[in-house]
Amino acid sequence: MLKKTVIVRPELCVGCMQCMIRCAEAHSRTKTLASAIREEILAKPRIHIGVGPELKPFPNKCRHCEPAPCQEACMPWAIRSDIAEGLKIVDPARCIGCGMCAMACPYYVIRYYRDANAPERPGVAVKCDGCHERVAVGLVPACVEACKVGALTFEDVNLYLKEGTNRLANAAYGVRS
Amino acid sequence: MRYVVVGLHAAGRSACAWLRKADKTAEIVGVDPAPMPLYSRPLISYALAGEMAPEAMTVAGEDFWTNLGVRLVKEKAAFLDPERGKLTLASGEELAYDRLLLACGARPRSVEAGGSMSGEICFFRARHDLDRILARVNPGGIAAVLGGGLVGFKLTMGLLKRGMTVTLIVASPRPLSLNVDEHVGSWVGGRLANTPGVTLLTSTSVTSVEKGTSHPLRVALDKGGSLEVDLVAAGKGVVPETGWLSGSGLELDYGILADHFLRTSDERIHVAGDLAQAPDVVSGDRQVNAIWPMAVEQGRVAALNMAGVRTPYGGTMAMNSIPVFGSQMISVGAVNPALTKGCDLVTADGPRGSYLKLVFRGDRLVGAVGLDAPPRLGELAFAVRRGLRRRDLPDWWLHNPKSAAPLAAPGPSLARNAFLG
Repeated sequence: MLKKTVIVRPELCVGCMQCMIRCAEAHSRTKTLASAIREEILAKPRIHIGVGPELKPFPNKCRHCEPAPCQEACMPWAIRSDIAEGLKIVDPARCIGCGMCAMACPYYVIRYYRDANAPERPGVAVKCDGCHERVAVGLVPACVEACKVGALTFEDVNLYLKEGTNRLANAAYGVRS
Repeated sequence: MRYVVVGLHAAGRSACAWLRKADKTAEIVGVDPAPMPLYSRPLISYALAGEMAPEAMTVAGEDFWTNLGVRLVKEKAAFLDPERGKLTLASGEELAYDRLLLACGARPRSVEAGGSMSGEICFFRARHDLDRILARVNPGGIAAVLGGGLVGFKLTMGLLKRGMTVTLIVASPRPLSLNVDEHVGSWVGGRLANTPGVTLLTSTSVTSVEKGTSHPLRVALDKGGSLEVDLVAAGKGVVPETGWLSGSGLELDYGILADHFLRTSDERIHVAGDLAQAPDVVSGDRQVNAIWPMAVEQGRVAALNMAGVRTPYGGTMAMNSIPVFGSQMISVGAVNPALTKGCDLVTADGPRGSYLKLVFRGDRLVGAVGLDAPPRLGELAFAVRRGLRRRDLPDWWLHNPKSAAPLAAPGPSLARNAFLG
């Protein structure tokens, strides 16, 4: 079970798209915006702000499903769950860009771009990797760091669910001291 | 509890992994004549095209089985006796089971062609087929490819990349007739016709393969005339491997009939993969969809049900995704014009040059096809399974498929809940 994960609160999103920029920066080779935009193969964001219900912004990123339909559809076993616990991560060296994962993903969070880790391929699957390298050194995922309005937070999913239950209970029955 | 899994490819592997997850202590026996090397079969088309080395098709080492604690029996299953709960192997040895999974897949459909050299026709399913074709590849030579489906298409492109001139012989009026709609089918047909080195013969069949004079083989066509070629390769679909089960008493049709829990007519026997004829989401009856993602998913669902974790199967569904001429073509559900007569077709807007069409039967989404469309066909496949209705597909999605939020995004009612407190 995931200990901490990125929790998305779409109702708080203002659509500033800073998470997209920071995500791309964090997945660039140089990790700095000023130089990332000069790289030969541009790093791409793995989170996208789409137009949602009532034309409101909706931050859309990989849910790291279990079992993951993309992983089941992947023919070369390029989507791995053994790199970081609870995360489904694409290994660009194994990806052949066949598009099977996009055919299986119910959330439109896998896109195809050239990737600096597999420059010989015209397109490989690019999706959220949970910023596992950042998390391993004690940082929070880049999108969470960028979000100024609390639409993206890095929390324990069980605590988040408990908090939701409490809110619902409080709204229904009033707060007990 | 002893689980026996017959066939260790997509469905069998997935089943073994999930059986182990569901039951840490059970004995799992895998029966397959060649379980190693552990490679992924659909990758043979990429190896043929030279996009990956044949060794790169290997997806895991031998420790895959030891880590899962699966005992391998490297033999072919020959007979099944459900009454006694025993599986007879080719060597005559009997293997008792408590729960059995049939995942022995399918074999290539044979070509109805006579002639003394019809045995020279190469199929394209497994690694040995790839080796057989590669041994006959002759740069600068001529190849005949039979079958206008995805395998025929992949064979054509692969052999072309290997430096051969290819004649693609298709029995139907256009290539990919079963997989895509008319628009994409004719686009592919047009591109194929304009590709140097490819000759497309539609509505044509091969009647016989004989020894040639200038080249090793000569194929005779039903329309008259013949071709001298170095290699004949066929990709005309697959037939479930059910022959050895005919005396077992299991309910058979085209494949092995399975219910909503992938159980066969015997409750101790489950089925998954290319030989499972399971309930189809779109048509409602039971169908075989011999594709990789369905096999892996069915392996999981069957394994969980075998281990006593009641898991209904969402239903099988045709879907495919291949790169064609540098474009990405994806289709899900019913898109073939023969199946979509009387359906409403809705074309979504999208970036210039992209094509995304949704097929509604009555009010219900039954299929979608995209050519260079935003990669969200998976979302539509999911919507087909959920039975999305036309009125539930918002305009903001149809007008902006590139950046619209997913259909599974929480609607206003759910978002309001989050504001509580």
